[in-house]
Amino acid sequence: MTTHSIVRTSALEKRFGGIVATQDVDLDIPEGELRCIIGPNGAGKSTLFALLCGIHAPDSGNIFLKDRDITALPSFRRVRLGLGLTFQTNRAFHELTVRQNLEAPFRLPQGGRSSTSEKRYQYALSTFGLDMTSDVPARELPHHRLQWLEIAMVLAGGPDVLLLDEPTAGLSPEETLQTARVLRHLNDDGLTIIVVEHDIAFVREVAERVTVLHQGAIFAEGTVADITAHDDVRRIYLGQA
Amino acid sequence: MKYLALLTGPEDIGQSRLFWAVFVLLVVNFLAGPLWMSEFEASNVSYYLLNLPMALGLCLLWGYCGVLSFGQVAYFGIAGYLYGIIAGNMRGDPWGPLLGEVGGLAACAVVSAIFGYFMFYARVQRWIVPILTLVLALLLETFLGQTAGYQWRVGSVQLGGYNGMTGIPWFQLGDLTFFGYSFYYYVVLVVLVSYLGCRALVNSHHGKVMLAMREDPLRTELLGYDIRARQLAVFVIAGVLAGLSGLLYVQWGNYITPSQLGLVQAALPVIWVAVGGRSKLLAVAISAYALNWITYSLSSAGNQYALVIIGGLLVAVMLFFPDGIVVTLARNMNRQALARLFRRG
Amino acid sequence: MEEFSLVISVAYQFGTNAAFLLLCALGLIVILGMMNIINLAHGELMMMGAYTASLSYQAGLPFPLCVAVSFLVVGFVGAVFERLVVRRFYGRELSALVVTWGISLLLSQGTLMVFGPFLPSIPIPGGSLDVGAYSLSVYWLILIAVSIAVVVALAWLYNRTTFGLHARATMQDAAMARALGVNTGRIYMLTFSLGAGLAGFSGALLAPTASIMPFMGQQFVAPAFITVVVGGAANVIAGAVGSSVLLSLVRTPVGFYLGAFLGLVALLLAALIIIRLMPNGVSAALQRWSDRRAQSH
Repeated sequence: MTTHSIVRTSALEKRFGGIVATQDVDLDIPEGELRCIIGPNGAGKSTLFALLCGIHAPDSGNIFLKDRDITALPSFRRVRLGLGLTFQTNRAFHELTVRQNLEAPFRLPQGGRSSTSEKRYQYALSTFGLDMTSDVPARELPHHRLQWLEIAMVLAGGPDVLLLDEPTAGLSPEETLQTARVLRHLNDDGLTIIVVEHDIAFVREVAERVTVLHQGAIFAEGTVADITAHDDVRRIYLGQA
Repeated sequence: MKYLALLTGPEDIGQSRLFWAVFVLLVVNFLAGPLWMSEFEASNVSYYLLNLPMALGLCLLWGYCGVLSFGQVAYFGIAGYLYGIIAGNMRGDPWGPLLGEVGGLAACAVVSAIFGYFMFYARVQRWIVPILTLVLALLLETFLGQTAGYQWRVGSVQLGGYNGMTGIPWFQLGDLTFFGYSFYYYVVLVVLVSYLGCRALVNSHHGKVMLAMREDPLRTELLGYDIRARQLAVFVIAGVLAGLSGLLYVQWGNYITPSQLGLVQAALPVIWVAVGGRSKLLAVAISAYALNWITYSLSSAGNQYALVIIGGLLVAVMLFFPDGIVVTLARNMNRQALARLFRRG
Repeated sequence: MEEFSLVISVAYQFGTNAAFLLLCALGLIVILGMMNIINLAHGELMMMGAYTASLSYQAGLPFPLCVAVSFLVVGFVGAVFERLVVRRFYGRELSALVVTWGISLLLSQGTLMVFGPFLPSIPIPGGSLDVGAYSLSVYWLILIAVSIAVVVALAWLYNRTTFGLHARATMQDAAMARALGVNTGRIYMLTFSLGAGLAGFSGALLAPTASIMPFMGQQFVAPAFITVVVGGAANVIAGAVGSSVLLSLVRTPVGFYLGAFLGLVALLLAALIIIRLMPNGVSAALQRWSDRRAQSH
C-alpha cells in the first residue's frame, strides 16, 4: 500500500540571531499516521511546531500540506486548509465559558462540519465529558479538562491533521492515558496526528513512528521499538529522561 | 425563529420573557413620550438618546473585540460636517438631507477603513490603536478650528472655524421634515435599530469570534480566522455608528463646532462605556443615556463641575467597579432571588 | 557665506523640531518602555510643569531653578499617582489608558477651577543670534542642547547605575527580577515618577514658548503620541531619539512649505506608514539591525 504524504517539509531551516534552531529538516508524514516528534530540551521541537503552524517564517526550505506549498501562507489559511493545532501552554479562552469556547472555532461558510469530522468532534466531547451548553467559565475547569477542551475546540473546526504541542503537559498518569486513548481512537478513525512530546511513556502508548530531533536536525526516525533500541538515541535523549 | 435567537442570544444582558416584557414596555413608553412630554422635553430626550449609537459602537469595539478607540468623535465630526456641507448645498432639494446622510456615513466607512487598515494589518500592539485614533480626532479638531473666514467654504457652506458650522438643515425625506416630535420618533427608531442590530451581531457567529479575539488574538487566528480583517470590520462598524450619532447631533441642534472633536468630547464615549460596563451592550446603552442626561442637566444649569464629576466618576469606576456599574449590578442581581424571576419568568 | 548660513538655518529648523518632539515624548516613553502603559495624563503633567514654573518665576526664582522645581514637584505628583491609582492597573494596559485619561480630565478641570483660565507667561530667556540673513533664537539653541543632555543623562542612568540595571532587568522579565531580589514595585514607582518629572521638566522648558492655560497640555500630546508610537517600546532611548529625528525630517520640510498644521498631518501619515513597515517601532527595527550586524561578524 502506498500512502500519500499529507504534511511534508523540505530542507527547513530557521535561525534566531546567530543560533540555528532547526536545519535541514525533511519531514514526511503519510496520511493517517500518528507521528511523535521527540527530542531533548532545545532540540528544536518548539521551533518546528511554530514553523508548521506559521507563527515563524522559515529562513529557507518549504512546507507542504496536502501537496500544497503553504510556506508563505498566514496561519489562518493553513488552518482553513485542514491543520488544527494546540499549544504547549493551554490556550483555551480562559475568561470565556465552555460554550463560548466551543462556539468560537472556524466553520466553513456552507455551515457545519463534514460527517466524519462531526463524528470525531462528538466522540471527543462525550469521551472528554464536555458539555457544549455549559456556562461555566473555562478558568474554573481543572487543568486536564482545559487541555481536553482545547483539543475539542480544534476538532470543532474539522481538521484533517491535528498538530499537538505537548498535550499531556501537567496531566496525571491516568489523564495522560485517557488522552492517549482518545488520540489513538481518532487516529484509527483516519485522522492524521502529529504530537510534539516530551513524555516517553505517552509516546510508547500512542506512536506508530517517532522522529527524534537533536540540535535542530532530524537525528533518527523509525518505529517506537527501533527508536528505543537505538543506542545513540538512548545516549542523547533517553539517558537524560 | 433563527433571527429571534440572534436577539435573545446569551451575549447581552436579558434572555428571559420577563426581560423582554420590560423591554417592550420601555419602548412603548418612549413611543408614547409625546403624550406626556412637551416638545422641549422630547428634544432633550432626543439629545440623551442620540449618542447611543456611538456608545454602542465603542462597546462592540472595546468590550467585545478588545480594541480600544479614543477617537470615535472623529467619525462623529466627519459625518456631522459632511452632512452639513451636502445638505446645506442642496438646500431646497427634498432629498438633499438623505444624500447628506449617505455621504456622511460613507465617508466614515472609508476613513475608518483606511485608518484601520494601517493599524490592523500592521498588527500593532494594543495600546497603539487608542493613541492613533485620538491623534486623528485632535488633528481634525485643529484643522476645523483654523477654517474661520470666507475662503473656507464648500459651495455655499462656511466651515466657520471655532465658531463652527451653523444653520445645518433638518433631516428631511421628501416632503416630510423631521423636527420636534417627528425628530424624536426618528431618533428613537434609529437608536432602537442600532441597539437591536448590535445585539444580533454579538449573538451571531461573528460575535463569538469577536470575544475570542478579545481574549487571545493568536489563538483565534490559529482557529482559522483572519483576525486583521475581522478587527477592521468591527472598527468600520463602530466608525459608522459614531457617524450616525454625529448625523443625529447636527440634525438635532443644526450646528456643530470643532470642540465636538476635541479631547474632552473624545473622553465621553469612553466614559459612558467604562461606567456602564464595556462587556454588555445594554449596560452601555443605559449608562450612556443616564450620563448624557446628567451632564446635560448639570451643564445647562451652568455647573462648571460637570467635567470634574465625570472625570472623577471614571477614575472611581475604574478603581472600584472595573467591570462597570450596570454589569456589576446585573451580575449581583442574577445571584439573588430577583434574578430567578428575571431568568425564568 | 550665503550657503553656510542657509545650512545653519536648515540644521536649526531640524534641531528645534527634533528637540520639541523629544521633549514632548521623553516622559511618556520612559513610562511606556518600563510598564507598557501610555500615560494619557502626560499633557496635563506638562501643564503642571509649566504652572509650577510660572508660579515660582512670579515668586522671583531664576528661570533655571524654576525648571528644576517643576521637575521635582511633578515627579512627586507622579509618585503619588502611581501609589494611589496606576499601580492597580499593571498588566491591564487598556484600562490603564482609560484611568489615566480620567486623571487628565480631573487635572485640567481642577486647574481651571483653582487658577482660572490663564497664568502670566514667562518671557523667553536669551535673545536672538544672527547668522547671515537668518535669525536664530538662543533659547531654542539651549533647548536643543538640553534635550541632548537629557538623553545622555538617561543613557547614563540606564546603563551605569544600579537603578538602571534593576530597571532594565524588570523591563525584560519582572517575575525573574523579583526572584533575583529586585523590588519591582519600587522600580515601577520610581520610573513613573521619573517619567512624570520629565514631563514637568519639559512643560517648564516649553512654558516660555506657549500660553500658560489649563488646556495647554493638549498641544503637546499629539506630537508626543506620534513620537512614541513610531519609537516603540523596545528600547527607550534609541526609540525616542530615532523617532524624533526621523519625524523631524518629515515635519521640517512640510511645515516650512505648507504650514504648521500640515506638518502635524504629515507626522500622522508618516507614523501610519512607519508602523506598517516596522510594527514594533523604530527601536525594535534598530535592535534587529544591530543583532544582524552582530551575527554577520
